[in-house]
Amino acid sequence: MAVVPFHRVNVLTGIKASRIIEDPVQCADLILKARRPLLVLGAKLIEWSVDGKLALEYALDIARAARIPACGTAHVKGKMVELGVSPDSVYDVVEIVNALKDPDWRGVKKEGNHDLVIFLGVRSDLEEQCLSVLKHFAYKHLRTMTLDKYYFPHANYSLPNFKKDEQWGGFLEELMANLRKER
Amino acid sequence: MAEVVKELTRKEKEIRELIRAEIPWEPVGPTPMPEIADLRSWDMRLLKTYKPWYAPFCDLCCLCTYGKCDLSQGRRGACGLDIATQQARIILLACLMGCSAHAAHGGHILEHLIEKYGADKKIDMGTYIELEAPNIRTVTGLKPETLGDLKTVIEYVYKEITHLLDSTHFGQEGSYLDYESKALHASMLDHVGMEVADIAQIVGFNFPTSVADTPLVDMGWASVDESKPVILLVGHNPATSTTIIDYLRENDLYDKVEVAGICCTALETTRYSDRAKIVGPLSRQLFYVRTGIADVIVTDEQCIRTDMPIEADNVDSRVIATLDKAMYGLEDATDWDTEEIVKQMVEDKKHFAILNTKKAAEVAAKVALKIAPQRKKRWITEEEAIELAKKCTNCGICERVCPNLINIGDGITELAKGSFDLIKEQFNQCIGCGKCEQECPNKVPIFKIMQVAASKETWKIRAGRGPVMDTEIRNVGAPITLGTIPGVLAFVGCSNYPDIDDVADMVYEFARRKYIVTLTGCAAMAAGMKKFENGKTVYELFPPEFDAGGVLNVGSCVSNAHISGAAIKIANIFAALPLRANYEVMADYVFNRVGACGVAWGAMSQKAASIGTGFNRLGIPVLLGPHSSKYRRLYLSRKEEDDWTVMDARKREIVDSGEPSPEHLAYVCETKEKAMVMIPKLCIRKNDTPQGRSIKLNHYISLYKKYMGGGLPEDVHLFIRRDADIPLVYKKEVRAYLKEIDWQPKEPVGLPTLIGTYPTKVPLDAVIH
Ligand code: SF4
Ligand code: SF4
Ligand code: SF4
Repeated sequence: MAVVPFHRVNVLTGIKASRIIEDPVQCADLILKARRPLLVLGAKLIEWSVDGKLALEYALDIARAARIPACGTAHVKGKMVELGVSPDSVYDVVEIVNALKDPDWRGVKKEGNHDLVIFLGVRSDLEEQCLSVLKHFAYKHLRTMTLDKYYFPHANYSLPNFKKDEQWGGFLEELMANLRKER
Repeated sequence: MAEVVKELTRKEKEIRELIRAEIPWEPVGPTPMPEIADLRSWDMRLLKTYKPWYAPFCDLCCLCTYGKCDLSQGRRGACGLDIATQQARIILLACLMGCSAHAAHGGHILEHLIEKYGADKKIDMGTYIELEAPNIRTVTGLKPETLGDLKTVIEYVYKEITHLLDSTHFGQEGSYLDYESKALHASMLDHVGMEVADIAQIVGFNFPTSVADTPLVDMGWASVDESKPVILLVGHNPATSTTIIDYLRENDLYDKVEVAGICCTALETTRYSDRAKIVGPLSRQLFYVRTGIADVIVTDEQCIRTDMPIEADNVDSRVIATLDKAMYGLEDATDWDTEEIVKQMVEDKKHFAILNTKKAAEVAAKVALKIAPQRKKRWITEEEAIELAKKCTNCGICERVCPNLINIGDGITELAKGSFDLIKEQFNQCIGCGKCEQECPNKVPIFKIMQVAASKETWKIRAGRGPVMDTEIRNVGAPITLGTIPGVLAFVGCSNYPDIDDVADMVYEFARRKYIVTLTGCAAMAAGMKKFENGKTVYELFPPEFDAGGVLNVGSCVSNAHISGAAIKIANIFAALPLRANYEVMADYVFNRVGACGVAWGAMSQKAASIGTGFNRLGIPVLLGPHSSKYRRLYLSRKEEDDWTVMDARKREIVDSGEPSPEHLAYVCETKEKAMVMIPKLCIRKNDTPQGRSIKLNHYISLYKKYMGGGLPEDVHLFIRRDADIPLVYKKEVRAYLKEIDWQPKEPVGLPTLIGTYPTKVPLDAVIH
């Protein structure tokens, strides 16, 4: 958590920062506590890989382990289809964020709006702006999390900046194990 | 109360005098020279469906000393402002910056030309253009005949800017919707200001007009002959650059000196002389300046680096600042003796501000000729680059500061090992901000090393052609509004691209599919920087006419007014709707019937914000690249929930079309692939005939299949009214899908309009032609 200066009005700079989650167990708890989580998948997942495994495959494993619906943004759907998975919904990231903002939206499963949205693999400038939309206009009904390898201050929960991709991959593996265990 | 009415009448009288209302070329419509509130209800109607989507950069407002105010989680500032309204205020400020940049540019050019030719100089746009100023006529109600008339118009724009800027002061406006309406107003005025600027340029500098096949000119740094003295022009305003060409011609020096440009001044100069060279778009500015190839750098206005004299010092180039907008703290030598300025620039290596175009031109030529032989100019060799690259420890700092998320350290490390592939790829993505080199702890000269990554190819681009001709509009008006030409695309804006090749790829894809592709500014340059079959660029491969499959470089940033102007011309020339002071009717027509879509893939500047927002007020959607989420405002609909009712003017009935066309007004896509799918969708209009709709859906579905892994678009059913709308090749598949979701046919809207669905002074009969 960022340190808030004592004389806020005169000194405060920057933004309210997200809570950093460094423990996969805690991360799994947060996800499993959510009643209607949603995973939003960005186009970087098609580019990135860790130890030869495509980042998109990590994301899909997480979705499976925690039984979270996945939303494919940009042209991610193409790759998902190639991997034999069809997304639960297809929106561009600005569109899904636009829907999530509305407390009365019925969600991708038409069961009611989500209470936790987890971002993964949207290019960082766009993802941070999208998190800002939700932070300011959906804070009453929605928490946000990112599982990217970078820190995103506009989220409620973010992973730290990982020095090495392998560390990030390791975190995601442990997260999956915990999600499976606790299910 | 009575007094207020009287005052308005006086004001109206004044406006009618200014626009010579008594000359009956068309009846004067409801909104001559509109003020802030006059088109507000049109804006509110658009904003009802396309709601602002705000992505604040920061939780705070720090615009006055009551603050900083924390505006997060529903808090209000000390003035009562909330976070949405603060974002809208920033957007309005951005649009005002953009609008004033073009208006001041137009104003400056006008002063320059009136000085030269007098205010009575006639406006003549050539044989094929009678409707010379569609934006000006529509917005103000004036049919401009002389440069002096353009001055009347620009003064109206200046006045509105003052009132709009006033509203951003502490206190005052408290509604984000009203701020958006003001941003739309500022941006509509931007198109008026741009039109003034470009008409003046065409008339005053004899730029091409009433012609399609303008000359193909050379582009790329390799097209510049470095063995000659090089004058580099940077910015947007051609007053000085054209005077430099004149000076060189008059003094028989044009063979001895290279004149090259970056950004829009480059485009403008090739409209004046097809021998001038275009180095490239804005994103190549710092890169090229740091090569030191330029002997003299002449700056004018708008997108120029603010540290130009410092950068020039580093490579021993000289700077002449020619416009008061950007004087860099330099000594103002406007009134000095020419020889004295030359002497100090040559011997003492000084830079100067010279605000007289003739003097600046003479000094630039003389200094370039004198210093060029003494300066060492060359590109570094691969061996030298490899040596320099060895300083890199691949620490990764450069990636962290790169706005385009490039790990240039990886490219440098590869290069140190003798492999150039990665850095070449990265050079295409680099937007030239220089942050990586600034932050590098090991002082790796990244830009210098990039010289070996930069392609030494040259490309052909067509010189900017100016307005679309009335004759062309007569030919394509019907197929555009019926939908059989599937769309008119406008690739515009700056060069903040995820990858510079993206623009050329998109232009190529859609020109092949027989869309009409228009381009301006940096986008026009970027589109030409890739070669396709037979080593040809899109300008060589596709015809230059405003017709199906045409690729048109309209010109510089200010030429954007000719694209909005073409849309207005369709309503006026083809559909015969009067345009005079009749903005709402024109915008309503364009919105419902002209399948146009702006693509500002690398939009970065405030000018791009106002250009795009101006298109939006005219009912044209704009698709933006991922960086543009940093503008912090989009206009998005939600297709399943929003209001898609329109008036069917034929039946005089309000109908729920259920059809989200166009789906969004300002939209960000993350990837080129997704943009390829969105563009055809954003060209769909309610007015499409079954034949037109099936052509548009054919492109939408086939591009979806190409980029989204097969299947049908999730929302395709929303755009199918009857079986006849389904493209032939996909009949079976689509019919099966429609059956599965229990789709029901619906009646196409005979004559769709928003008039009649919101409070407006415009009668329904006004949109029936
Ligand atoms: S303008 Fe309003 S919100 Fe901004 S700092 Fe001043 S009082 Fe606070
Ligand atoms: S910051 Fe400098 S040393 Fe570090 S990786 Fe980048 S270029 Fe190499
Ligand atoms: S100059 Fe290019 S590589 Fe360097 S930080 Fe800017 S965009 Fe990235």
